[in-house]
Amino acid sequence: MTITKQRFVTINKYALWAAIIVYLYGLFGTKIIQPGIFFAIAAGFFNLLHQKYFNARPRLAAHMWLIPAVIGAFTYPLLMEKQPSGQNAFYFILTLIISLIPYLLLVFGTTEEQPPKKERLKVISFRIFTQIAVFLIYAVFTAYSFIYGSNVALFFWGMFHVLTVAILPFLFGRVLCGWLCPNATLQDGLFKNMTYTRPIPKLPKAIEEQSHSTAMYLSGEVDKNAPYFPFTLLLSWFPMFFCETVFDLTGDLWYPIYFMYGLFIGSLLLPWRKMCTHFCWLSSYRGIAAHGSLWRIRYNKSKCKQCKVCQAEKACPFFIDICEQDNEMPATCCLCFSCMEACPFEGVITFKRAPEEKARVKAVGKAA
Amino acid sequence: MAANYTTPLARAARIMEIVIPCYMFGKAWGIADAKTVDLFRAMFPAFLIDIAEFFKKIMQTDNANIQRFFSTMSGAIVGFVVVALLALVMHLVLRDRKYLDSLRFTSVSLIPIAVLNGTLSHAIKTLVENLGTQTADALYASTVSSSRGNILIDGTFYLTAMWMMGRRTGVSRGRRYGVIGVGIGFMVIYMALGLMISPGEWQALLPKLQQALANH
Repeated sequence: MTITKQRFVTINKYALWAAIIVYLYGLFGTKIIQPGIFFAIAAGFFNLLHQKYFNARPRLAAHMWLIPAVIGAFTYPLLMEKQPSGQNAFYFILTLIISLIPYLLLVFGTTEEQPPKKERLKVISFRIFTQIAVFLIYAVFTAYSFIYGSNVALFFWGMFHVLTVAILPFLFGRVLCGWLCPNATLQDGLFKNMTYTRPIPKLPKAIEEQSHSTAMYLSGEVDKNAPYFPFTLLLSWFPMFFCETVFDLTGDLWYPIYFMYGLFIGSLLLPWRKMCTHFCWLSSYRGIAAHGSLWRIRYNKSKCKQCKVCQAEKACPFFIDICEQDNEMPATCCLCFSCMEACPFEGVITFKRAPEEKARVKAVGKAA
Repeated sequence: MAANYTTPLARAARIMEIVIPCYMFGKAWGIADAKTVDLFRAMFPAFLIDIAEFFKKIMQTDNANIQRFFSTMSGAIVGFVVVALLALVMHLVLRDRKYLDSLRFTSVSLIPIAVLNGTLSHAIKTLVENLGTQTADALYASTVSSSRGNILIDGTFYLTAMWMMGRRTGVSRGRRYGVIGVGIGFMVIYMALGLMISPGEWQALLPKLQQALANH
């Protein structure tokens, strides 16, 4: 079989969907989860998030699907020893099917795709690793809490809260939305690759324009009167926060679970990342703190050729008009580094401000 | 460029950027109940808790959930007043924007202190939950040491946030030092007014807490 780009995505997408459905059924239905399923979820995400790299290397990608099968085989005797039941065998067989079908399809497939010329940025590989790791921790802690009646999921949310409210926004801005949020991982890996017509395919102009520079904050000295964040995003904070306060929900296990699944459902209704951009109740309050963050991705305007490859719809998940920025990304940036990878030129989007850009910013500051 | 920012939602966003941090900043002052109010008075400047308690008395209801909402709202009102006053000073330092935008600058940069207030109120909750499981001295030591750490971290974040916000909204370097000065002044006043439980306050509180524990 020829593995085209689309076919590669389809194989991994359906295998990942199957793994997630089996996980959810185990969580809410039979209270049994085969450990291999977690690795099947990880394999699916890994292949989909690195799809440009693995498109041209399906055999390499196939080996990711061997891991869940091996983990499943190793853990099966242990599970049977602890709790002998037909259900354990059933879940083991499911895990094998979910992992071996994509393995066989990819390992025996041929491809004519060419590997991308530009190498994957190390920072993006690290981001993808972090995203998958946090998603797995979330899935494992949730499963453990549901199956064994423990409060370990609250520990996860407690740590998540400490990191994303009290520390990270002040250092790296809205890094939560690019690196840590389980919903964001699901959106990047799965929802982005779903081809169905969304129930809400397009948002009204008044909402849509908030994510663009016509109505939103730009980095630079021109914008002392500009809003830092979209109104709808800030507004979405109210209902959730008031419910949390009025009903004192912070100690309830079901609350963060439903909170996150609410986000999942919202994300299914809208195109990719529109939920995060305009309506996410998790990132609104955390997001405003990003305005005072210590570090942002630099945009060296003086070096930019205005080729528009990085423009909102093509690269940025948060629909930022990068070419309109002054010297760094705005508060809405989630530090995913997609723009840095998309930019065909050296030294335009960077970690450190270029010396000539530094001089330009200084001159503008002096003039002000 | 500024003319582009006058879309209805952009204007509303600027209001929200004032409201949300103010709410988060002040709500910790209003959430005390009969059992914990003395601890809150010791942990935060007592007069802020008293003002919030005054608003709470005005907004009384039998429904516990709605009362919780009123409590946080009463704290939020006090929070808003404090931020509005601080913004007045900030406005005099910044001198380059409308008062509304100085207020927005002040409230958004105060988010680390809002986090600090939330953490300190959580420390009180933990202290009350652990009463009886640890000795009083150990509880006090752990509460105070964790509070000190939080004040240090969040205070640093507050000052850096002000500096970065100033830089990002075109405040000249000289005025940014002024802005930092206002921030340091605010922190010094906040602490001088009674942020954190002092040993004297703890000694006065201890019999009451032990009595409450015995009754429990």
